[in-house]
Amino acid sequence: MAETQQQRPGRATAGQDGPARPPLWRDVRVLRGVLQVGFLVATVALVQWLFGNLTSNLDRLGIRRDFTFLDQPAGFSILGAPDFRAQDTIQNALLLGLGNAVRVAILGVLLSLLIGIVVGVARLSKNWLVARSASAYVELLRNIPPLVLVIFFYLGVLATLPRLTEATFLGDVAIISNRGIWVAWLTFGDGSQPFLTAAAVALVVALGVARWRTTVFDRTGTPHRRVLWAAATFAVVTALAFSVLQPPIEPSLPVLDGRVVTGGAWLYPEYLSLLLSLVLYASSFIAEIVRGSILAVHKGQNEAADALGLSSSQRMRYVILPQALRIAAPAIGNEFLNLTKNVSLGIAVGFAEILRVANTAAGNGQPAPQLLIVVLGAYLFLSLIISVIVNVFNRRLQLVER
Amino acid sequence: MKRSIRIASVALAAGLVLSACASDEEATDAADPAAPEETVTVDPAQTEGGLLAAVQERGTLICGVSQGLPGFSIQGDDGTYTGFDVDYCRAVAAAVLGDADAVDFVELSASARFTALQAGEIDVLIRNTTWTATRDRNEGGSFAATTFYDGQGMMVDTDSGFDTIDDMANTTICVQAGTTTQLNLESQFAARGLPYTALTFEGNDQLQAAYFEGRCDGWTSDLSQLAAFRGTWPDEQGGAESVKILPDVISKEPLGPLTSDGDSEWFDVVQWVVFATFQAEEFGISSANVDSIVASTNPDEEPAIGRFLGLVDGFDPGLGLSPDWAVNVISQVGNYEEIFLRNVGPDTPLGLSRGVNSLWTDGGLLYAPPFR
Repeated sequence: MAETQQQRPGRATAGQDGPARPPLWRDVRVLRGVLQVGFLVATVALVQWLFGNLTSNLDRLGIRRDFTFLDQPAGFSILGAPDFRAQDTIQNALLLGLGNAVRVAILGVLLSLLIGIVVGVARLSKNWLVARSASAYVELLRNIPPLVLVIFFYLGVLATLPRLTEATFLGDVAIISNRGIWVAWLTFGDGSQPFLTAAAVALVVALGVARWRTTVFDRTGTPHRRVLWAAATFAVVTALAFSVLQPPIEPSLPVLDGRVVTGGAWLYPEYLSLLLSLVLYASSFIAEIVRGSILAVHKGQNEAADALGLSSSQRMRYVILPQALRIAAPAIGNEFLNLTKNVSLGIAVGFAEILRVANTAAGNGQPAPQLLIVVLGAYLFLSLIISVIVNVFNRRLQLVER
Repeated sequence: MKRSIRIASVALAAGLVLSACASDEEATDAADPAAPEETVTVDPAQTEGGLLAAVQERGTLICGVSQGLPGFSIQGDDGTYTGFDVDYCRAVAAAVLGDADAVDFVELSASARFTALQAGEIDVLIRNTTWTATRDRNEGGSFAATTFYDGQGMMVDTDSGFDTIDDMANTTICVQAGTTTQLNLESQFAARGLPYTALTFEGNDQLQAAYFEGRCDGWTSDLSQLAAFRGTWPDEQGGAESVKILPDVISKEPLGPLTSDGDSEWFDVVQWVVFATFQAEEFGISSANVDSIVASTNPDEEPAIGRFLGLVDGFDPGLGLSPDWAVNVISQVGNYEEIFLRNVGPDTPLGLSRGVNSLWTDGGLLYAPPFR
């Protein structure tokens, strides 16, 4: 503050005296340059000192500094990955942990976005009960630390489900117990690859059809019904592929056999408690962002929609939400980043994301500094990818605006 | 503007990475020619200013112990710690400081224990830790001695119908993360061809809670730990009779204290404190009779006992301790038999018999090198 006040008169006098420049130690440009260079040097020196400290201490203790340990057998098993063998390498264990983290992050992002939008819109509902329930949801969930939520779901909810021997059966399609929830799923036998490829092609074709309907609508004004068209295309193409290729895909129902459940998909408590808590936590923030963004859309847009005679749901869908989501996108992107980083809370309940795997390896004789560097790099990598996606998405939204 | 910031940050990051790499290279380059020099400069520094001097200067020993394991290290209602591992912390403090109570206990999880030792947060780690080659080398610590010869076992519900581990196909097993137990479980079940699911936990408390809830069919750990938890099994969960320990012993688990690598003086102190507890039992010296033995021993007639108790003038093994350090250990903590019986013996909830943890003279494995 004082500095800027001193600089201003100094500059003014310099201007009056003509081209005479202040001495170097008072020249703002020089000072700024020196400060920046000084900061850079200090940062580099600090990092170098920390690194030197680490290496010298590791040498003193005789701990390896290289990454060759990644090729050693892990020796432990990983929950939820029955195919992972103890003979597999640490590297594979870490990759599996990263894959687990990515799976939770992707599913978490999709679910929290969906719930967040619904709750955010519900908070603005004119229905008292709906609006209050949505407010309660947001206020409750965003004010609890996510770690507490994870442990609550793990110990307070899922652990209190019935034991496996007294498990609850929902017909043949689900078994609910405190060792996890098994739900009916599909088994993809060997040779189902061509069909899956065909299904992917069908998806692309369906998207193309939706696009074609949009251009038809833009040109002629006939109702596009693009969702219906796309869904029908997808259904027809996949059904054709299924009948032609006869893929070995069968429904797999969970069956309790003594102490083990075979078939179905296993949603184990560690995974479920992490996913649930992350989705609820992130969705409460996204709901607030959505609400704020809807309110930020100009009132005139509402009035214009009313003047056109749009129903309230049409107004929300075609006028308000597209503009609101454009405002909300950067903030929601931040929540996606938070959610992804919070996947590391899985360590509290034993979900095998990469930090937990690294921690287990460190406890079994592998060097902790290198393992943590790998974990740091992995989460940084995930976050940067999400940043890039969010930025690209943002830029496209902004272009549409102009 | 945005782009320039991005470019600058990328440049900064690249710079940092490069400088880090550069310093790494420098370090490795410099290490080779300077290696002999370094050892010369480091060694005296360690003798003069090593951990022994630091602990004596500080006046307290910082000892890493388990987070509540009955019989080995558990905090009572009054805040004091008791247990087998705790007694060895106290024995080291008695030898080094002359006061067995001058110990600060630090509770560590299985996964955090080696990091705490590497970082110098604790002076010695006495946390029912199994001695393995990888740990001795990779974790930056050295195992001083074995204080307890343990083995891994399996605990199951009494009415589970399991009589040996071979009955346990398609089960879920609870195990602590980051332990040798976890690795043994994997290799044993793989070798026996038993499919199973391992549930891992950071602490025994969480593991026990999960077992109560029926999340797993078996609990595998060192037999001493299983005995400890079985002995203190809550009555509302059926008491000790509701669980049983299978007869299979699936591994060797020698447990003992660790010191940080690179300080051989401190390592020797901890090692010889352990040996002193063995030797005291062998000589028949206990906390009850140590004072009368010190008073009545003629060092000329019984030189071995005399050297051990510091009664022989001019005999100093060079550990950097006071001559009566062994007397302090015995009088304030006791000999091995006392430590064993007090914490894990037949009259405790653990109810363990001496087994291989007997003196070599009784056919056990405890053997102290001569004090001379």
